[in-house]
This record gives sequence, structure tokens and C-alpha cells, in this order.
Amino acid sequence: MIQLTNIEKYYANKGVKNYVLRLVTTTINQGEFVSIMGPSGAGKSTLLNIIGMLEEPTYGTYHFMGEDVTSLSERKRIELYRNHIGFVFQAYHLIDEMTVYENIEAPLLYKKVGSAERASRIADLLDRFNIVAKKDLFPNQLSGGQQQLVGIARALAAQPSIILADEPTGNLQSAQAEEIMSLFKKLNEEEGITIIQVTHSEKNAQYGNRILHIADGVVKEDVAVLS
Amino acid sequence: MFRLNLKIALRNLWKNKTSSFINVIGLAIGLAACLMLLLYVTYEWNFDKQAKEAANVYTTMTNIEGDNRKISGTFEGSVTAFGPAIKAALPEVMYTARMDYGKENLIANGTNAFKCKSKFAETDIFKMYDYEFIQGSAKTALNNPNSILLTESTAKLLFGSTDVLNKVVRFKDKYDLNITAVIRDQAENSSNRFDYLMPWSFYESIDESAKSINWGNYSYITLFRLKENADLAAVNQKIMAVIKNNTRNDFQTQALFPLSKLHLYGKFEDGKSIGGAIEQIYLFVGLAFGILLIACINFMNMATAKSEKRAKEVGIKKTIGANRTSLIIQFLTESMVLTFIAVVIAIALLELSLPAFNHLLNINLGISYFNAASWTGILAIVLATGLIAGSYPAFYLSSFNPVQTLKRKIGSKGQWSVSLRQVLVVGQFCFAIILIVATLVIYRQIQYIKNRPVGFDINALVEIPQDGQLKGKYELFKNELLQSGAVSAMFQSSVSLSHHGSNFMDVAWEGMTKPTNTVLFNQVATTYDFIKTNGIKLTDGRDFSKNFASDSVGVLVSASAVKVFGYKNAVGKTMSAFGDKYHIIGVFDDYVWDSPYKSNNPMVVFFDPGRTGYITMRLNETNSLQSNIETITKITKGINPAFPVEVKFLNNLYLEKYNAEKTLGILSNLFGGLAIFVSCLGLFGLVAYSAEQRTKEFGVRKVLGASVANLMQLLSLSFLKMIAVAIVIAIPVSYYAMGKWLIKFEFHTDISWWIMPVAAVGTLLMALITVSFQAYKTAKANPVDALKYE
Repeated sequence: MIQLTNIEKYYANKGVKNYVLRLVTTTINQGEFVSIMGPSGAGKSTLLNIIGMLEEPTYGTYHFMGEDVTSLSERKRIELYRNHIGFVFQAYHLIDEMTVYENIEAPLLYKKVGSAERASRIADLLDRFNIVAKKDLFPNQLSGGQQQLVGIARALAAQPSIILADEPTGNLQSAQAEEIMSLFKKLNEEEGITIIQVTHSEKNAQYGNRILHIADGVVKEDVAVLS
Repeated sequence: MFRLNLKIALRNLWKNKTSSFINVIGLAIGLAACLMLLLYVTYEWNFDKQAKEAANVYTTMTNIEGDNRKISGTFEGSVTAFGPAIKAALPEVMYTARMDYGKENLIANGTNAFKCKSKFAETDIFKMYDYEFIQGSAKTALNNPNSILLTESTAKLLFGSTDVLNKVVRFKDKYDLNITAVIRDQAENSSNRFDYLMPWSFYESIDESAKSINWGNYSYITLFRLKENADLAAVNQKIMAVIKNNTRNDFQTQALFPLSKLHLYGKFEDGKSIGGAIEQIYLFVGLAFGILLIACINFMNMATAKSEKRAKEVGIKKTIGANRTSLIIQFLTESMVLTFIAVVIAIALLELSLPAFNHLLNINLGISYFNAASWTGILAIVLATGLIAGSYPAFYLSSFNPVQTLKRKIGSKGQWSVSLRQVLVVGQFCFAIILIVATLVIYRQIQYIKNRPVGFDINALVEIPQDGQLKGKYELFKNELLQSGAVSAMFQSSVSLSHHGSNFMDVAWEGMTKPTNTVLFNQVATTYDFIKTNGIKLTDGRDFSKNFASDSVGVLVSASAVKVFGYKNAVGKTMSAFGDKYHIIGVFDDYVWDSPYKSNNPMVVFFDPGRTGYITMRLNETNSLQSNIETITKITKGINPAFPVEVKFLNNLYLEKYNAEKTLGILSNLFGGLAIFVSCLGLFGLVAYSAEQRTKEFGVRKVLGASVANLMQLLSLSFLKMIAVAIVIAIPVSYYAMGKWLIKFEFHTDISWWIMPVAAVGTLLMALITVSFQAYKTAKANPVDALKYE
């Protein structure tokens, strides 16, 4: 599904190249649950951003679902966001002016899903995540864990084939973190959604089935998780 | 999607109450000012354009022949022979109507008598104007010489109803006329308004000069309706031929000019229109959109001020599938919602302030709520405003890259946008400063003209029109008044002291070198006590006196007239006018009449008890003003009971002369003030923006030991620099522009040295107050709040 070949990313500063990623080559298949781990500044988030097409690599090629997306037009990229990719952020990044319901609805509106279909999908998601009672609240009226649940519900609304999560539990207490991680695991196992997460926590990484260890922009280790 | 956008827009407005308030109020003021000026402009623009056939209606202009066959002046006027002759000769002419200029004349229903504006016209006037008949019809209205047409309000004034067909009214306390029609009141922006209209045939029966068909007396208006698409230049050429045939003169004394253009393009030079009130219209349109633009710029600046917050939203939306178009639409929806709220407030503001505005300018404007055109206009302005105000934030914010915004990294690349913002602020304040300078200069100019000596003491002078019995019984009237002690001196004259519209050129003098005179002279006919009453300074000779029987062929001349004659000792010399010889018995100093802004024509004062018009009196200042006026009113009423008594104070008449410039002064004052207020609102928003952007920096600085004063200085300085730049740009521009404006006046003040510093310091001070308010708030904030982010 995702094929990265010799991905490099550096920032040129006064003629000196500061490498963030060096020659990253890897393949991630449909249905995998990959955790990217490594120390601060290793290039984890940059790698995730490149996979999410939020950043462009300086060098190398990137194939997404068999298509070369190394440098994609904004229109096509947004097309992919609408249909295939869901983002989950550490800081939740819900839209403050919208209620829970509206936040989940937004991607469907952009995707131009009919209103009946929209209502049923949102109802389904609210139900699954046990946040029906909160649907008319605004993000700042929710706890962190609840906000992240809404964030995930929003990412799932468009029925993506892949979820990219940048430290999804980084701002959460451990009990809430566990809840989120088991949810990811369930989504991965029961619905076959590909999940790629960046995490610091070895414990969270154990929920997935593969770990990419990165240090200084280089993939040091690529191990499968034994469950 | 749209519904959600709308909902979110309203939520956003509600959440950021301060900035919404600033935005809405700023835009509402801008829109109200814009709508008000546009109402005024529409009123002026539509002058004489109401009738269906207005585009084909022309009036006749008279050219005055000056030196070397040049045209030295042009005015609206014609001779009695012109209309019929042209109609007979030119196939392009469909209809023609002669009229008089109109005059306040007495009209009465029994004892219910009023002075209202009368007009005489030929019946073809109905082919040029679309009068709305309430009673009677155009076919029957003015066929009979003793018929009369009333406007609705005149009918109501006289009879209390419009159901007055075939009733009789009395004109000038002499002629009984039969009401044959009542029409709706004419639009106020119409040049040929009247309160009642009488047939030309009746005019001919009561006025000899109207009856005589001549080519010499330019005292009438002649309107023409030409065939559609008639070529005006060709028509005027043919008119030249007709004039030549009739007068043996190949100077084009008469030419047609579109009536609908007369009001706005009424300034003529060398016989050609070179503009006029239209210049003011352009100025007002510029002012209207200038203020609106200032408000729009505020909106843009406020929106980008919140960009930090909004950028995150843009980033998120982009990752969940929003494209740029949908974001642009969202931002434009927001600005449209805001503009709609603003326009509702603006219309309310407009309704509240229109009466005061009308009162100031002495006009009667109103919003026509049932007119599709005005709503289309308002809607167009709203859409344009929303689009302009929303465009910059919409296009700027929607272009943000999601990763950068989510990482809170914008700002570093905002170099270009920051400088644009600075340009906008500098532009705003330039506009404001120019308006302040303009206001000050206009005010000074009006003061200067007001303080210019009129040439005589106008304070105790009053005048009344010489109507009815006051003509024949003038001597009796004079005796009674002088005996009563209310009046110390008085005279009758053919024209009012403050306004002489009686020009002539048929003058000759001793030792004249030119074959004919080309200088326009002014004439006044009076009797005894002219100088004694008005107190104009006599430099040589004496006033008219009963002791000299020869004074009936004596004249008083003005100093400028003596200059034209080239006389050393004018008294005792002669001059001739209209073929008669006159002796100069006195010379008086030029005084101000008509326009106080320019020097007047040379004047000759004749002695002629037959030419009546006005009676001017000097009040006895030992009595109270009130008792004087009461006495005058009582005596006037006793001698001339049919007419209402109208005592006018000369000083009021002189005050009215400043009206045009006063209007300009009021408008620039009002809208200058608004421009500055709205600009300061915007500045407030910008400081808020800057404060928000630098919250963290300020927090750090405070922790490091910066004082409140340090921080305020830091935040204020960059803004005050912008104002300084605006001052540097605006001062020379306004100096130049106002210099040009002043040059238009023959008598004008200079731009005093202190005006520029006052405008500059005033603006700077206002900006400083605005800025320091926000700066203080920011500088006092607790650094912990600023630093606990991330």
C-alpha cells in the first residue's frame, strides 16, 4: 500500500545540509499496524508527515496505493485525504467553533456525502465511541480522552483505508491512552484499517504488529511484534 | 455546507465579541456614510432627469459678447422671439415652451393668502414634463388665459384639499383665476419647480415685455423638446443662421443645452460647459467609497489579526479534505454575514441621522424602501463590501500550508503580508489627515470671507419686497414709518441690496476709445436716501437729494465703474446708458453683493421712482428690535393688507451666501471625523493583532525584567512610525490640493503654517491614545499566561 524508496529530507542552511531523514526505504502493506519509534528529533514526525503528504521529501519516491505521489497537486492530494487517509493528532486539533457532531460531520461534507448517509454514519460513530450524549458539546467542554475519541471518530467518518496518528496518546493519562490504543487495535483487526502511529511509548507500540525504530533519520530496526 | 458555514460564522462573531463589535460598528459606520453620500449624489445626479422625455429636453443659453467677439459669460436665458422663430425654422424641434424664471408671488383663496412660487409657461411644457394630474388634465389645464394649475401642496395650503377644480384663486391681489388642474408636487431636484403655474397667454396680458416679440430682452427661459437622437451641434448651427437672419448679427447669442445637464455641468467658459457641480459629485463619490474602503481595510486587518487562530482551523480542515475553494467560500460567508449585520445597523443609523443631515444641508433626502433599484443598489454595495473585506483574509488564510499551521510556524513567512498591512494603514491615515486639513482650510476660508468687510453696516438693515399697494403708496408708507420712529431711514430700489441680477452693457463715457463697451455693468434704480440708509461709503459727491431737481438725470457710480471710465474727478462728468445722458453726482466704494467670493461688476445707480422692487430700511437702534419689527409689520399690514409681511434681515441674507461652502465644510467635517474614528478602530484591531503575535515575546521579556513602559514603547512605536509615514505623505498632498481649491476664489485665505502641525499632532495623538490602551493591557498581562503555551 505504501512504498517508500530512498526517501531523504534535509534543510539547507547556509550551504550546510541538515538531514532529517536519510535513505528511508520501506513498504507498509494493507492491514498493518505500524508504530514508528525513536528519540526526539529522530525524524519520526517528518516521516509520518511525508507518508501523509503534508510534507514533500527532498529526494526519493513515494508510491501510495500503486500511484507515484512524490509530488502531487493539491487537488489530487485533497482527493486522497477525502477518500483514503484519516489523521489523528497529539493535540486533537478539533475545530473549536464546531460541536462534536459537526466536527465528525465536516469531512463528510467535504466528501459531499448525502445527508441521510451522513446522519447514519455519524450516529453509528457516536454510538460506537459512546459519545452520543456529548454530540452537542464543544471541544473545550470535553476531557482530553474524549476529545481524542472525537478526533478518531472524525478520522474514521470518511471511511479511510489508512489512519496516520502522530502521538495520539501523548497528551493523555494512561487509562485514557489504553482505551485509545485498544480502539486502534480493534479497528485494525476487525475492520482491516491500516494504522501508522508515531509513539514514544514501548507499551503503546506493543498494540501494533510492526515497529520501525528510527534514529538520526535512519531506519535502524524494523521488527515485527509478537503477540 | 453553507448552513454550517453560516452557523459557524455566527458562532465566531458571538465568541469574539470585541473584534466583532469593532468590525460591525466600523463597517456599519462606513456603510452608513457611504449610503448617505450616495443618496445625496443620486439626488444631485437625477436633477431634471425624472421625466420620460428628459433626455430630449433642452434649455436655451445666452452668451454674452465680450472683447474680440469672445464669449465672456453664459447664462440660462432667452428672448421672447427665439422659441417661435426656431420652431418654425427647424424640423428637429417638436415642442417649445417659453417660461419666466418664476417668482414668489401672492396667491389667495379669500383671506387665506400666501407668497408662493409662481411660473408662467406655454402649454407645450406638458410635453416635456410628466406632471401627475390629480385633477384636470394636460389637455385642458392652461387653455384659457385666466386658468391656473396648482400643485398638491399649494391646493392643500389654500383650500385644505385637492378637490378644488373650478374654484377661484386671486393672483397678486388683482386677478381672479380659475383652477383647472391640480398636480402632484414635483420632485425637489427639478430646476423648473413652481407652486402654481399660469398660462403664457395670461402673462402676455399683464406684462408688456412678455407680450412684445423681441430679440433684445433676455429675461425668459425657453425650453425645447427635440426629436429623438437630434444632433445638438447641427441644431445649434441652424440656430445661428436663424439668429443672423433676425438680428443681422453673426455672434451666436443663443444656443441650446441639455436641460438635464444644466445643474451638474452649469459652469461655462467661452460658451462651452466645463463642469460645475459634477466636480463635487465626484468628490463625494470618492469620499463615500474612501470611508467604506477604510472600514473594509479594518475588516481585513482584524481578520488577519486572528490568523494565528484561524490558521490552525485551516490546517485541520485541509487534512480532513477541505480544498481551497471551500475555505475561501467559508471566509467569504463570514464576511458577508458580518456585512449584512452591518448594513442593517447602517440603515438604522442612516434613518436616525438623515433628519439631522437634511437639516444641515437644507435638503430632503430619504430612503425609498419600495424601490427595487435602491435595494439592488444596497445589495450590490453589500456584496461588493463583503467581497472586498473578505477577500484578503479568504485568500491569505486559505493558502496556509497545513503542516506549518499545525506546528504554529506561520509568521516567519508573513513578511509580504505584514508590509501590505502597513501600506493599508498608512493609506487609511493619509486619507484621514487629508480630510482633517481640508476641514480646517475650508473652515478658515469661510471665516475669512465672513470677516471680509461687506462695505457697510448690515446689522440694523431689513428689507421687504415692494408688493401691491407699497408701490403706489410708497411715500405714504415712508412717512408713516419714519414718524413711528421704528425706522431711521429707508429707500426703495429695483433690486435687493444683497443681490443685483440686473446686467447691462449699453454704456458709453467721455473719452471712450472702444466703439462699444464690453464690460458688464450692474444697474440699480432707486430714489432718495440710498446712501443715507445703507451707509455705503461715499468717496466723492453726494447722495440723491430733493434739493436738486436735476437729480432725475443724475447717477451714483461705484469706484470700479470710475476705473472703467478712466475718470480722474468723476463728479460732474457724464456717462450715457441706453442712449440717455446722465450726470455723475457721487462715487461710492465697492461693496459686497451677490457672491462674497469674487469682486463684482462696476455699478451704476439710477434715479427712477417707477422701478420698484424692494424697500430697505435702517432700524432705529434706540428701540428694541422686536418693537421695531412689530411697528413695521403693523404699518405694512395697514397699507398693504392683501399681502403677508416678509421682513428679511440683511445679515441673514448675507449668511445664506456661504451655504455652498458651508455644505462642503459640514460634509468634510462629518466624514473626516468618521474616517478618523473608523481608522482608529482599525488601528486598535491591529495593535491587538500585534499584541497577540508577541504575547510570548512579551512574557519572556517581562520575566527578564522589562517594565510596563518598556513594553508599551516597544508595541506602540512601530504603529506610530506608520502614522508618521502617513503624515509625511498626506501633508504635501493636502497642501497641494487645498491650495488648488483656494485658488478658485478671488478672495481667499492662505494655508496657515499651523494647520499642518495641528492636523499631524491631532492624528498622532488620537493614534497614540488608541495604541497605548491596548499596549497597556498587553504589557500588564501576567507573563505566566503567555508562557504556559506548549
